[in-house]
Amino acid sequence: MSAPAIPLGARLRRSPGLVGLKREGAVAPVLAFVLFFVIYVAINPELLTRFQLQTAANLVAPLALVALAQLLIVLVGGIDISVAAVMSLTNVVFATQLESASPLVAGVLAVAVGMGCGLFNGLLSAYGRLPVIAVTLASSFIFGALATEVLDRPGGAVSEGVTLATSGELAPYVPVALVWVLVAAALLWLLLQKTSLGRHIYGAGSNAEGMRAAGLNDRAAQLTAFVLAGGLVALGAILLAGSTATGDPKSGDPYLLNAIAAVALAGASFTGGRGSVVGTICAAAILGLVGNVLFFAGVDSYWQYVVGSVIIVAVVGIPVVVRRLSARVKGASA
Amino acid sequence: MTSPTSTLPGAPATPVDAAPAEAGGASLGHRGDAAPVLVAENLTKSYGAVHAVRDVSLACLGGEVHALVGENGAGKSTVAKMLAGAVVPDTGLVRVGGEPLSSGSVRTARRHGVQCAFQELALVPDWTVAENLCLPDGSSLRRFARGRETREAERVLAALDLEHIDPRRPVHEMPLADRQQVEIARAVSGDVKVLILDEASSALTPPGVEWLFARIRELTARGAAVVYVSHRLGEIREIADRGTVLRDGAVVSDFQRGSWTDDELISSMAGRTAARAFPAPPALEHADGPAALEVEGLAGEAIHDVSLTVAPGEILGIGGLQGHGQAELLRSLWGAEPATARTWRVAGKAIRRLDPVRAVHAGIGFVPEDRKREGLALEMGVGENLLAPWTRPHERGGAPRLKREKGWIDEVLGGLSVRTRGAKERSGALSGGNQQKLVFGRWVGRDRRLVLLHDPTRGIDVRAKQELYDAIVALAREGVGVVWFSTEVEELVHVCHRVVVLYRGAVADELQGERLTADAVVGAAVGRRAVA
Amino acid sequence: MSTVAAPPRPGTDTDGDAQHRLTEALRRVPAAAWPLVVFALLFLIGGIVRPNLLTLEALWSTAAFAMIVAIASSGQTLAVIQGGIDLSVPNTVTLSALTFLSAVDGLGAFGAFVAAIAAGAVVGLVNGTIIAKLSLSPIVTTIAMNGFLFGVVLLTFDFSQLTDIPRFASDITSAKIAFLGTEVAAVVPVGLGLLLALQALLSWTGWGRALFLVGAAPDVARLAGQPVDRIRITAYMLSGALAAFAGIVIVGFYAQTSTGMGAPYLLGSVAAVVVGGASIFGGRGSMIGTLGGALVLGQVATLVAVANLGVNIQQLIYGVIILFVVALYGRRARA
Repeated sequence: MSAPAIPLGARLRRSPGLVGLKREGAVAPVLAFVLFFVIYVAINPELLTRFQLQTAANLVAPLALVALAQLLIVLVGGIDISVAAVMSLTNVVFATQLESASPLVAGVLAVAVGMGCGLFNGLLSAYGRLPVIAVTLASSFIFGALATEVLDRPGGAVSEGVTLATSGELAPYVPVALVWVLVAAALLWLLLQKTSLGRHIYGAGSNAEGMRAAGLNDRAAQLTAFVLAGGLVALGAILLAGSTATGDPKSGDPYLLNAIAAVALAGASFTGGRGSVVGTICAAAILGLVGNVLFFAGVDSYWQYVVGSVIIVAVVGIPVVVRRLSARVKGASA
Repeated sequence: MTSPTSTLPGAPATPVDAAPAEAGGASLGHRGDAAPVLVAENLTKSYGAVHAVRDVSLACLGGEVHALVGENGAGKSTVAKMLAGAVVPDTGLVRVGGEPLSSGSVRTARRHGVQCAFQELALVPDWTVAENLCLPDGSSLRRFARGRETREAERVLAALDLEHIDPRRPVHEMPLADRQQVEIARAVSGDVKVLILDEASSALTPPGVEWLFARIRELTARGAAVVYVSHRLGEIREIADRGTVLRDGAVVSDFQRGSWTDDELISSMAGRTAARAFPAPPALEHADGPAALEVEGLAGEAIHDVSLTVAPGEILGIGGLQGHGQAELLRSLWGAEPATARTWRVAGKAIRRLDPVRAVHAGIGFVPEDRKREGLALEMGVGENLLAPWTRPHERGGAPRLKREKGWIDEVLGGLSVRTRGAKERSGALSGGNQQKLVFGRWVGRDRRLVLLHDPTRGIDVRAKQELYDAIVALAREGVGVVWFSTEVEELVHVCHRVVVLYRGAVADELQGERLTADAVVGAAVGRRAVA
Repeated sequence: MSTVAAPPRPGTDTDGDAQHRLTEALRRVPAAAWPLVVFALLFLIGGIVRPNLLTLEALWSTAAFAMIVAIASSGQTLAVIQGGIDLSVPNTVTLSALTFLSAVDGLGAFGAFVAAIAAGAVVGLVNGTIIAKLSLSPIVTTIAMNGFLFGVVLLTFDFSQLTDIPRFASDITSAKIAFLGTEVAAVVPVGLGLLLALQALLSWTGWGRALFLVGAAPDVARLAGQPVDRIRITAYMLSGALAAFAGIVIVGFYAQTSTGMGAPYLLGSVAAVVVGGASIFGGRGSMIGTLGGALVLGQVATLVAVANLGVNIQQLIYGVIILFVVALYGRRARA
């Protein structure tokens, strides 16, 4: 297709994949991830052993899924404060249902509960026209209360089989958790990029008013985003229950700020309409593994909080500074 | 004047009561067989206690352009939106081709061949032109193929003579005029029986308007009906076959091609006799002081080497097609956009670095382009919006400040005849014209040396326009230099001392005296230097 | 063309007029008053159920807890009014409390107090600068800051050493003051004075009004020549300083420290601000409203505790109250 005269660099710059990443703001996080990965392997070549790959995957997988859920909400122009509570709730539902039901039934039930939570948030936000952040603030109190109602302290009956199915290995060097995440991410990517519904989700965040005036249903798109997000959170909660082998009504708490941070690191626009699945996965991997890198580098693990925050501000902020500076240089030379 | 149709609200005469069957068009002797394509019967719509539209009936014939005119707040937009299916009428009915269009859904209306382009752009900024044009529609899980959409969009754009628009570009990166053309393109590219254009030409340049008229004529030639909502009487004279005047949400009169004059239409809209008169610019009597603005070699993102001088009390018009650097010029002069210049003086004082805060101190005032987004905090009161540039952190604010400034506020509100219940009324509750007066009024009586105006009369009603012209001239009479960018050539020609026309970010021509004519301005705007 | 007589102006019939007048009258009640009205109703309801809840003592005990929440939410109120949010409140609270405790030996109580407040202001300065100058989203910036501070707290302070609560801290918080024959915790008058001062700052100074302008319409503020960046940065600085003050109050009142001592104020502070009638999008809010919001939430906690319903029910009611308030006046503008 492309003429041989065009240099490789220019051809790469024009390739649809890169244009897409750029438009969705995901170039910086992908580059950051590559850099991060190189540093990681340089400090700790052992990462590429079976055991460590598996541990790393288990660490990252729940965060990646919750971050994808948050991404969906950010795409439609909101922010979901209730992800932590939904995660805790679905986590304890899964863990307690395992006492009586088969893992499949418990899993389906947990995902259904997650989607139900999403439906609740989505109906109030999309059809009740209430601000998303306020609705999810309210529902985080409600879902949090329900979680402790279901199970008031860590417990449940997570069997070894469940643990293996969520955080074991599918094949040598292939952690199951990673497979779950990649399958979910691939399906989500297909939905967002290759279907009308996906484009509607981007459109609803970009200009809901305009969509409505054009005769498209922005509210349905918003509602779908919420329901899907609920399902993704539940999946994350199931993986977490598997890898920790317990259900815990507070298990979601650390994920609230981390998931938002991951979406920010992924370069998504918090006014909606812009954000990338690939970038979010990369961002979640970085934030999830900072602690590990520091551990292997022999640094006090408390530094992970400091380093993680600096990475976020740097990756999100540096492109802004570069753009400003280049604008100033251009203005001066004009 | 003679009028074949004279209607009373609630008792519509022809052609409505003859609709929807055969008689409508025939009774008027126009295209013997033409039945109304779109009929509105007794539409009424209230928002709370406010009756936005009362008992409006009209009929649009196939092959004709039906204009909908009225002042701001007369209900034109609400009527247009009801016709388009975007607003559900409280009572009344819209029929398309005889069939009632019951549900208030744009989608249903579109399926019936009713297409529309709105004043507030109904485009999704993060979507590409192709996505906006082809609307990922249909069942939600239907495959969305980017390549196919792009090719389809290319075809549509080529067919509509819009090759300069790249279908792969996200809409938010494009200039306003291009966006408006994309929206119109979307409306006219479908299966059109009725096309509704609600102020759709507001951002279009004269060639853009020509382009739009060409599309409209193509559609009417195919027998479609066009509802054209606009403030620009010149456009209505050119394109409208028939029209309805609305005032306070009700029909006050009908008109037909050739049967009206500007003055009659204006007085009908305003409910009083009003002539459209441009005040003459005041005599230049402050010319001895330092120039209000003196800038040489101004350069920035979209402007190159612009040099301007404005004398105190002079009104300098800025002309040109939209998107040729006028917005950037004004914003640069206000310090809202980075720019450099070889020399740059305001009222004799050299400008080194400029931002809006410094600009206020330097004696400059600015009326931005978009009054709703850039001009006013709609949730805040009238008084506090007037005081927005004059609120200093360490000074008093709120109620005590309003009390102290009451004299000035009343003077501004009275001087500009702002129709408001007082300084504490929410500014969002005011009509467009009155809102625009607030944005302008900030700078009145505040010792300004230079005031920059970005198309302040765009999209406001005739009466408010008139009042703004007078206010601008009054400001100049006090010795304030005015830089006024307008998309309405007539304003530039009549109210300005001098007009500088921009083309591709540079000064194309400077017109004054004899040479200052509408043709010269338009000619320079398309890069043709008028022969003196 | 002909013109007919002007139809009557769009008016209202008499029925609608009466209704209109009522809604107008209701609208004139300042938004900040509603949470206080609701609190008064809840207080009366409590009194009907349990007469011993209708006493000044009961009022003071609820008020003391609510006042602490209100102080912790006062900075949040400023951040929300100017169109942002401060999610670094929890660890600013912790940082300040621990700075105060560890500096008290070297600097004395007042010196340590100043040091702690200054630490909070610096946190706010950094938040504000990143948000205003780099245009990063406030949520992201303050989340990152919260994480950063968590690391700093864990790396800097030795918790086992910080058990002595200086008298100064308890003097301004838990110490009892005689009032109308009852005893009220010092934090109530201290907090009330602070909130009223802040309310005056918001209502009657140029800075306060500019804060609302920036929150309601940042582009408008910028193009009207307001120093938007400076206003934002000072708002976040003040927000950080107020969170720091809350840290000292919390450590003084509860007399204990932990790494998670600020955690309840992450959502708690936003909840009080929202229930207090602020718009989460900025441009609307008040200190009195936030105090009302905190009182409502506090009174619910009291009622739930008295009825022995448990924390879950309390949280559930909190959620419902927030939804209710948001549904009342958090609705987005009509499409």
